Amino acid sequence: MRELISFFVRNSKWFFFLLYVVLSCVLLFSRNPYQHHVYLTTANSAVATVYGAANEVYSYFNLRQANNDLNERNALLQAELISLQNQVLRMQEDTLANDTALMPEGARRFEFVVAHVVSNSVAKPYNYITLNKGELDGVKPEMGVVDQNGVVGIVNVVGPHYSRVISLLNPNLKLSCKIKGNSNFGSLSWTGSDPRYATLEELPKHTVFHPGDTVVTSGYSAVFPEGLPVGVVEEGSDGKNDNFFTLKVKLFTDFATLSNAQVVINNDIDELNKLAEADYKPAR
Amino acid sequence: MSKIAFTYFLKVVLLVLAQAVIFNNLVLFGMAVPLVFVYAIISMPITWPTNLSVTIGFLLGLTVDIFSNTYGVNALSCTVLAFARKPIFHLYVQRDDDLAGLKPSQRSMGSAAFLKYMLTMTVAYCALALTVDSLAVFSFWRILLQIITSSIFTSALIYALDSIFTRQHEKGL
Repeated sequence: MRELISFFVRNSKWFFFLLYVVLSCVLLFSRNPYQHHVYLTTANSAVATVYGAANEVYSYFNLRQANNDLNERNALLQAELISLQNQVLRMQEDTLANDTALMPEGARRFEFVVAHVVSNSVAKPYNYITLNKGELDGVKPEMGVVDQNGVVGIVNVVGPHYSRVISLLNPNLKLSCKIKGNSNFGSLSWTGSDPRYATLEELPKHTVFHPGDTVVTSGYSAVFPEGLPVGVVEEGSDGKNDNFFTLKVKLFTDFATLSNAQVVINNDIDELNKLAEADYKPAR
Repeated sequence: MSKIAFTYFLKVVLLVLAQAVIFNNLVLFGMAVPLVFVYAIISMPITWPTNLSVTIGFLLGLTVDIFSNTYGVNALSCTVLAFARKPIFHLYVQRDDDLAGLKPSQRSMGSAAFLKYMLTMTVAYCALALTVDSLAVFSFWRILLQIITSSIFTSALIYALDSIFTRQHEKGL
């Protein structure tokens, strides 16, 4: 017995070493980001507080770019507003008697929570973003995140005040997208080398596209509304499979200077999830 | 001993914060990542037992993982590096006497020996961490290029940091 104990003491460094290696590997091989524990991510409030403080300084650096983007977006929205106002006026003239026609059903479905990016990376193989809005602000896992230019990512770990987002620059994220004005959809994912580009795969061969066409979300998942801008087609090539195209897409969102974002809240998500669950149950 | 431990702890906290807030954002050409917190393992007093150094290594790596969402990559790499620290040190410094409380630095080891020790540690760490991190994603050549550029960038920063820490220490004396 004494021999055994002295054996353990003599070789204790090996046991310590192996223990820590095993612990690390357990973490390492649970790579599925949806199963990450909130305390071991940047949604952890202590860590996020540090980033929040650092961000107080950093947020001034990109203001000029953010301002330009906002101005452009503002101009676009202004134009859209005017055209919509005109449309509404025309419709009001047409349907004065029936005012329910003026309540578009889609409008209430999605709401947006404005959040500030407190940490972000673009150069790693698996990139994540931390936002300063959490459960108390209505943010839940699997909500979409956009910025003024386009799609940013999907929320996956939520703390009370902060949340961590799987960036579009993460091979674990696949986004259902289509080319604007076209109903065929494909799956967009990051290839892991250049933060400015992503790949749109599995696009049916009969899809018509040209370099410069806009790629938008398909709206087939409950995460993003239909038609959110994602990027523009840079070039197309034959995919691995002969029946599909693979397109190189230049992303609208500049992840390197990302500072503000909006979390998309889908008010119908519970209903949609219930429907999806019903699919799996055999009918009686 | 306790004074050494306290200043060491302070240094580790500073390094982790600097890594999270500054160095994680300082990626050159989308390639070279400065993993400056490795200096905490490099400059750990050499007489500290391996049990302690491995524990510190694991906790250090885990903290950096939490800050950078790498989930286990740095915990594993730091543990291995902390375990290999003494053998690597003794590759370049044979004498076993008067090592009590010795913290590896340019001043205590001499520039040449420190440079060799520090470079070996840095290259080993970059190779380990970057390979583990990008397993199954990137091509071999990209990882290799990343390891080389990151090692150069990291060791330059660590050498500079060591000069600063050493000079401050001399002033304090």
